[in-house]
Amino acid sequence: MNNTVKQLVVGILIIGLLIGMRPLSDAISYDRLVLGYARPTQVTKILQYDAPAMTSVIVGAMLGGFREVAASMLWMKTHSMWHKGAGTQWDALYLMRMTTLLDPHWLEPWRITAWHCAYNLYVETDDEEKRAELVETGVNVLKEGISWNPDRYDLYFELGWTYFDKIRDYEEAARWMGAAVRFEHPEYIERLIAHGWERVPEMEKALMWYDYCLKRRPSDHTAKGATITIRERYLPASRLIDEGRFEEAADAADMYLTINPQATLALHMKAHVYERAGDLEKALEYWALAAENYTLDYHARAKVADLCEQLGWPVPEYASHIYMREQQLKQQREMAIRRDAN
Amino acid sequence: MRAIYRVARATYYEGWRRRFLNGILVFAILIIGSSWVFTYLQPGAELKMLIDVGLGSIRFFGMLIAVFLGTRLIPDEIEKRTIYTLLSKPVTRMQFLLGKYFGGLATVISNVALMGATFYVVFLVKAPQFAQPTEEGSPVYSMEFMYENIAKAIVLNFVELAVVMAIAVVASVVFSWILAAIVSFFVYFVGQMSEFFGHLADPETTANPVARMILLTIYRVLPHFENFDVRESILTDIPVIWPYMGKVAAMGALYVAVVLALGYLFFNQREV
Repeated sequence: MNNTVKQLVVGILIIGLLIGMRPLSDAISYDRLVLGYARPTQVTKILQYDAPAMTSVIVGAMLGGFREVAASMLWMKTHSMWHKGAGTQWDALYLMRMTTLLDPHWLEPWRITAWHCAYNLYVETDDEEKRAELVETGVNVLKEGISWNPDRYDLYFELGWTYFDKIRDYEEAARWMGAAVRFEHPEYIERLIAHGWERVPEMEKALMWYDYCLKRRPSDHTAKGATITIRERYLPASRLIDEGRFEEAADAADMYLTINPQATLALHMKAHVYERAGDLEKALEYWALAAENYTLDYHARAKVADLCEQLGWPVPEYASHIYMREQQLKQQREMAIRRDAN
Repeated sequence: MRAIYRVARATYYEGWRRRFLNGILVFAILIIGSSWVFTYLQPGAELKMLIDVGLGSIRFFGMLIAVFLGTRLIPDEIEKRTIYTLLSKPVTRMQFLLGKYFGGLATVISNVALMGATFYVVFLVKAPQFAQPTEEGSPVYSMEFMYENIAKAIVLNFVELAVVMAIAVVASVVFSWILAAIVSFFVYFVGQMSEFFGHLADPETTANPVARMILLTIYRVLPHFENFDVRESILTDIPVIWPYMGKVAAMGALYVAVVLALGYLFFNQREV
């Protein structure tokens, strides 16, 4: 065999091997995805042009084994920037984001990045639309963090807490905290789930969680007190709602409102009674009362906005309401796409 | 076969006599041996940090050794003119290339085996201590498959280095050793991101068909080095199954065959 023929054979062999490698390469990619060997690829767009995030993906890939050390160094830099104070909030966000991308299994950067968006940057603006966007970014950061760390309680809890404390969507809060308690977790999370349900108000569910807390630790005085309060004050109204006896339920809620006209939970309960009865105007009246009595009652404020929208009245815009409305629209769009696909 | 074995054997011993490689190895063993020290950087996630730094160091220093050794094997023979003696004997260029490659690979694997053993000892001593939760709500690490997975990760590292070594040896046939080292590093780093190129080649991500074709070519031609990285499964304690190991090893072997065949084409053309 002369040299040219040899080279031709080797050339054909190379092409053949390259073609043969393709199905094997595809099979490996599939295995990595299905068996969970690949890193999740979901990337939250934090800033309009997420160049630093992309850079850190590239640098992270290049660093290979030292990504985690680089992430730790970057986190220290974030700390020093943090202590410089005003004017560095957005720069700090870039660094935080890079840290989450370099070491996605480190929980603290996810937690702090989300908190930075939903709390610190939130108060830097008065524009409710912008605030809603920042809350959404915080939520998305935590969801992305969960996709990397699905078997740890921390980020489920953080997300639940953001819904509880910032968005005041107590049902979502209870859902995410419920996910957190599937893993090793501190006890207070169970009580927070109960707190969430009592604010909705879903007293049966709240009671169920407080009962659970008590059975696990009979000396849990918070759960004990809350159980007594719910049974005495709110459970009768809740049962009457379930039976469709709304007038009696309203009277039952009134019993405690007569003693304390500004009691948040009683106002929520009364508004809930009218909402379930379909009397939206009355419901709005009580949600508005709750919102006026306690300025941090975002849940009541969001309810006011929601009911105004349903009644066709002028809607006061609150960040949490804008956020929740956006989420509803997104869900509706997704459902429509799925329906069309089917 | 005997000619390949002889060249490989000589290359292996010669590799161990190279001082700069011994320097890298000693430094690597020191870093790996003290990898538990870095765990203070992430309180509460010590076990994760130990695994990351330990296995990351093995990959990184293994790659350094493979590139620096691989790119020097043939140029040194040409520079010292010993290649003339070798090729004038009944040793073909293909045998010489394969002998150099396998000899170099044996050196790299023995180096990495030493690093791996060091890490395994550190892991056996420190991991049970770091796996204990330190406070309420601290993560409880499942370690059912961890010991086995670490051994498998080191084995996959051998396969990865076999590919890196082949690229380095063949690049040194085409370029000067410095340029070959740069090319090898470049291929290694870009190969770590091949999935990213695959993602960019998706019509939903990149609209331009020409750019998409270029990205797809890069994705198809470059080695997918991230396939050898199973740290994700170690951290989440998912078992690395043998069929996956087999597929990755087969992929590595095919890639080495392609690169060495290319090397043969270039080496055959080259005047020495």
